[in-house]
Amino acid sequence: MNTGDWIDLLANQAGPAPRAVVARRLGPALALGVALAVVLATGWPWRPWTAGSAGAVLALKLGYTGLVLLAAAALAGQLARPFVVAAVAARWRAPSRLRAGLAVLVAGWLTMALLAWWSVRGQAPSPWSAFTGGGTASVCAWSITGLSLPALAAGFWALRGLAPTRLRWAGAAVGLAAGGAGALAYGVVCPETSTAFIALWYTVAMAVPAALGALLGRRLLRW
Amino acid sequence: MTMPTDDATRGAELASAWQRAQAGDVAAYRAALDMLARRLRAYFSRRMHGAPADVEDLVQETLLALHLQRGTHDPSVPLLAWVHAIARHKWVDALRRYGRREALHEPLDELLESAHPAVEPAPESHHDLQALLGQLSQAQRTAIVHTKLEGLSVAEASARCGQSASALKVNVHRGLKRLAALLRGEGGWM
Repeated sequence: MNTGDWIDLLANQAGPAPRAVVARRLGPALALGVALAVVLATGWPWRPWTAGSAGAVLALKLGYTGLVLLAAAALAGQLARPFVVAAVAARWRAPSRLRAGLAVLVAGWLTMALLAWWSVRGQAPSPWSAFTGGGTASVCAWSITGLSLPALAAGFWALRGLAPTRLRWAGAAVGLAAGGAGALAYGVVCPETSTAFIALWYTVAMAVPAALGALLGRRLLRW
Repeated sequence: MTMPTDDATRGAELASAWQRAQAGDVAAYRAALDMLARRLRAYFSRRMHGAPADVEDLVQETLLALHLQRGTHDPSVPLLAWVHAIARHKWVDALRRYGRREALHEPLDELLESAHPAVEPAPESHHDLQALLGQLSQAQRTAIVHTKLEGLSVAEASARCGQSASALKVNVHRGLKRLAALLRGEGGWM
């Protein structure tokens, strides 16, 4: 087939480029993931957790996980577009939204680390109890991972219709967003009240789907 | 070697055509794809020592990918950075596919650059459009033939084949996505 004919075929009646394709695909997918995670967390008939927390602790949980969800979703949105790292140095800087998303994530993690340090600083000689909290660490980590799976599947479906070229990073970003969704939902029902617990275990638990996304990315995101 | 100014002029021409194309100017889109095809041909020719038809397979596959993903181009990113990312992705993907099949073929001759056949202005690929269209569903094939080959407007094509305008657009898009999958599966080159 002649390339001129091929170009004619592509251009004929092409119309304008579709707008906001990344947001229109990734947004609803992650929203669905969050909704499913909340329904599963609050409506699960045999859920091993009992009651949630209230006030400042609840606000901290929702604030931290919501921040990770939004920042990772913004990163995934950037990584869903064709992107070459080599081009960053040579011709243009990384898209500002990529840098902004990374900066927000790092700021969130640093803030949680500082808050955790602040909350345990008087408890020498054994601040470890603040990190283990009420002993639900294992339930917390596994529940968040489990609750993030619908968002992970929806996020991968969204990315498969877009054009990521850094497959591992795109998978990790959408995995972290899914982790944020799962942790947000778990935060509603989590009984722990210690800041140090949240800083440690929520972070660890959200990293699990991120790592899973990075592993699956290279295999599932090819196009 | 091209003069930098010359190169800059051509780059500006391409950027302007692309901008108008994204807004819906079909003539500008055709011109932009034509300019991009030349750049892609040069890009892939430098990387593979195959026949022009093998290069052309990749050029056409990449053009289709550009078309399907044109909505992911952020105007704040230089067009060629975006195109380069897609071309590089397609090149790596082709290498992976080729690596899987390599054992089935004779090793490539180490031809000198000067021994390469001259590339015609618009060379042919291995793809056979009719055969490819034959593998689409009836609705997708009809939609593509009416709007893309016969050049009917969506309204005219809709009246002709009885699909609603929105169904027609969806079928064109799905059909092109299916073609992209077929091009990858067939692995055109080698």
